[in-house]
Amino acid sequence: MKFSPDDPKLTAYALGELGDTERAEMEKQLAEDEDGRKHVEEIRAVASMLAEELKKEASPGLTEGQRATLEARLSSRVKKAKGLRRLMSLGWFRVAACVVLAIGVGLLVDALQFHQVIRGAFRASSEQLAGVPMTKGSPSMGGEGGGGGGPGCGGDSTTTSVPIVYYGMAGEGGGGGGGGPVAVGGGLYRSETRREAGEAGFNTEAYSGITDNAFLRVVDNPLSTFSIDVDTASYANVRRFLSEDMAPPKDSVRIEELVNYFTYRYEPPRGENPFSVHVELSGCPWNREHRLARVGLKGREIAENKRPPSNLVFLLDVSGSMQPENKLPLVQSAMRMLVSRLTENDRVAIAVYAGASGLVLPSTPGQAKETILSSLERLQAGGSTNGGAGIQLAYDAAVSSFIQGGVNRVILCTDGDFNVGVSSEGELVRLIEEKAKSGVFLSVLGFGMGNYKDSMLEGLADKGNGNYAYIDTLQEARKVLVEQMSGTLVTIAKDVKIQVEFNPAQAEAYRLIGYENRILKKEDFNDDKKDAGEIGAGHTVTALYEIVPAGKRVESSGVDPLKYQKPMQAAPASDSKEMMTVKLRYKQPDGDTSKLLEFPVTDGGLSYLQASGDFKFAASVAAFGMILRDSPHKGTSTLDAVLELADEGKGSDREGYRAEFIELVKKAKAISER
Amino acid sequence: MDPMSNGTNRQWSAVSEYERPLTLYATRILGDVGRAQDVVQETFLRLFSQNPFPAQPFVAQWLYTVCRNKALDIRRKEKRMNPLSDSHIETLRSADPPPPEILESREKTSQVMKALDGLPENQQEVIRLKFQHGRSYKEISEITNLSVSNVGVLIHKGLKSIRAQVANA
Repeated sequence: MKFSPDDPKLTAYALGELGDTERAEMEKQLAEDEDGRKHVEEIRAVASMLAEELKKEASPGLTEGQRATLEARLSSRVKKAKGLRRLMSLGWFRVAACVVLAIGVGLLVDALQFHQVIRGAFRASSEQLAGVPMTKGSPSMGGEGGGGGGPGCGGDSTTTSVPIVYYGMAGEGGGGGGGGPVAVGGGLYRSETRREAGEAGFNTEAYSGITDNAFLRVVDNPLSTFSIDVDTASYANVRRFLSEDMAPPKDSVRIEELVNYFTYRYEPPRGENPFSVHVELSGCPWNREHRLARVGLKGREIAENKRPPSNLVFLLDVSGSMQPENKLPLVQSAMRMLVSRLTENDRVAIAVYAGASGLVLPSTPGQAKETILSSLERLQAGGSTNGGAGIQLAYDAAVSSFIQGGVNRVILCTDGDFNVGVSSEGELVRLIEEKAKSGVFLSVLGFGMGNYKDSMLEGLADKGNGNYAYIDTLQEARKVLVEQMSGTLVTIAKDVKIQVEFNPAQAEAYRLIGYENRILKKEDFNDDKKDAGEIGAGHTVTALYEIVPAGKRVESSGVDPLKYQKPMQAAPASDSKEMMTVKLRYKQPDGDTSKLLEFPVTDGGLSYLQASGDFKFAASVAAFGMILRDSPHKGTSTLDAVLELADEGKGSDREGYRAEFIELVKKAKAISER
Repeated sequence: MDPMSNGTNRQWSAVSEYERPLTLYATRILGDVGRAQDVVQETFLRLFSQNPFPAQPFVAQWLYTVCRNKALDIRRKEKRMNPLSDSHIETLRSADPPPPEILESREKTSQVMKALDGLPENQQEVIRLKFQHGRSYKEISEITNLSVSNVGVLIHKGLKSIRAQVANA
């Protein structure tokens, strides 16, 4: 019998895919079939050619960051497994509980994967899919071939503590995006939009959800503890929305960042402390019954010529999403301004990252301006974004040219749209946290719009001992990089924490305005291992407390009066007229032990009309923030009242920032009246 | 922690052994290296959560199966949003050129490769699984959810077309 060349058995035989019996039979038949043998020969020849050619196809494999993620996941699994084994040894009756726990771990892992998938779905690939109008949904975990594992949604407990809300907004062509909204199951992500190339429409800006701090009763919570925050990004971002005739998304408004955008004329410190503390207490403009306390910090000023030598590593995002005029080109202009101020004591390196990362300028002395500028000119945007690998590279460069006693800082310029490699927020934050231990500080400068990842960037700066600013215009670049250069670059105190103890004899309840994502536990105040905010040279930091005086009614907290507990015994000092004591802890930039400062505050009974101009202005900014956030605590504030108060508090306003604020409020008023 | 230490040994060696081949495979399906890498990373994360861990001879098959399903899932979702390409989904017939990253690494596209690129996608896929990834008919059948004889037919047909084209060249 002869084989037809169409018999797949021939191929199977030639490739060694037949079982013993079939093979033996084939061999017997082929012995008498010359054509058949020829076919087999030919099949084998083409097969080896194919194998040879296919071997030449190189595979990039995973990125460094992804591999690191996997390694980290394996290490953490080992720890969990050990915990399980310990439980197991407790006895058989615990087995059932262990099974439940094991399922729990499975769920957690799947939740993490889900997070990854979401990030993956955010691979805003205008660069990769240019011209291909398609919109991706977020891949779900269902319908997979592997089986096993729990449902692919659930708490995101290990990565972020607050749900992230992705805003979809029409008419945001800036990022070049488009596409349709896709609802994601699982309840965690309330809505999500995808940006894709080629169509105008939606943006994928991400903001962490913020719930306004509530009023807390002094008897239940006598201590209020938080970390300072000198970030200003939210203000510039709000300004960008308003200037485009849009109301900013509620969660993009962080009141403390609006208030801290402005410099207040607090007296600089005189003694050895790196900053001075000023507390002012007067009436609350938006609630006649309440008092408003302002805690102001002012960092020691350092003259430009006394600035310590700086070792700066710029880490620039040059991925495709950075192409628009208000991104990479703006970064380049901003850096040109900064470079013009550098001296021979300073060093600059430039690292870039896109799909891959690289050092485009090794550490170079500050006076070699030509070299620095020409490497800046050559930068071009294109490709996907592997932020993780770039961050690694930049810190390595900063560490290798570390200046003892100088400023060592990585300056990350990005739209935060990391979409390759270590792209889960949690992984990046952990990487930064690890790197911050090297003594290198981090500044994050956010650029652009449309796919701007605000929550991610703030988190990075926070963990990297750094500050975070949003740069929307060249003017803003000048403010951050030139006018406040020493403040942005020179840290004068780190891990600055504030704890306020209220006197129940004077205060019924209080509310910290803003700083929602900076709240610390009361134990954290004295714990030097707990990270907190940094303050730069000349920086001012302002925090506002709205206080309900003793004897005034507080909106019910919804909790019944306690049945078994005695009301808390007031200490003898509560007889004093002091309203509160403001305590601060800080460390020297290179120190590990904190120092404590204490300031008792007494209410002089002033009305807000008698308050200082700075107090009025700060209050007007906070009220504006509460209106934009539609805060339940905005009281009687209106945009008109904000305008009036801001006008009274404007003062000399040399740089014109306060005048600009007043214009913004007017703009918001126009939008709200539309 | 050293990923090679006890207990994570098998997981980590699976990563080292298969990350490249899987990325190549997923890139073929998705036409994009970045997304393929994400899919491969997810595949490994899923492998790590497998209990019991697949027995040694089945690790590769497991990885390819999960990786393929994830990649197809993403591709299906992408195309679903784009009604024009709806009809192309299930037939897996795609004339998309390979991504430039892979093209560059090929010194010159030989006759054989040209012929391969011209095959229907389902034939290309099984041929790649066989000759590039060294998978047996049985494994390919598990990975692709086709019967073994179906796999045999696809490979046979594919090789036959390639032979014909190479002979005519």
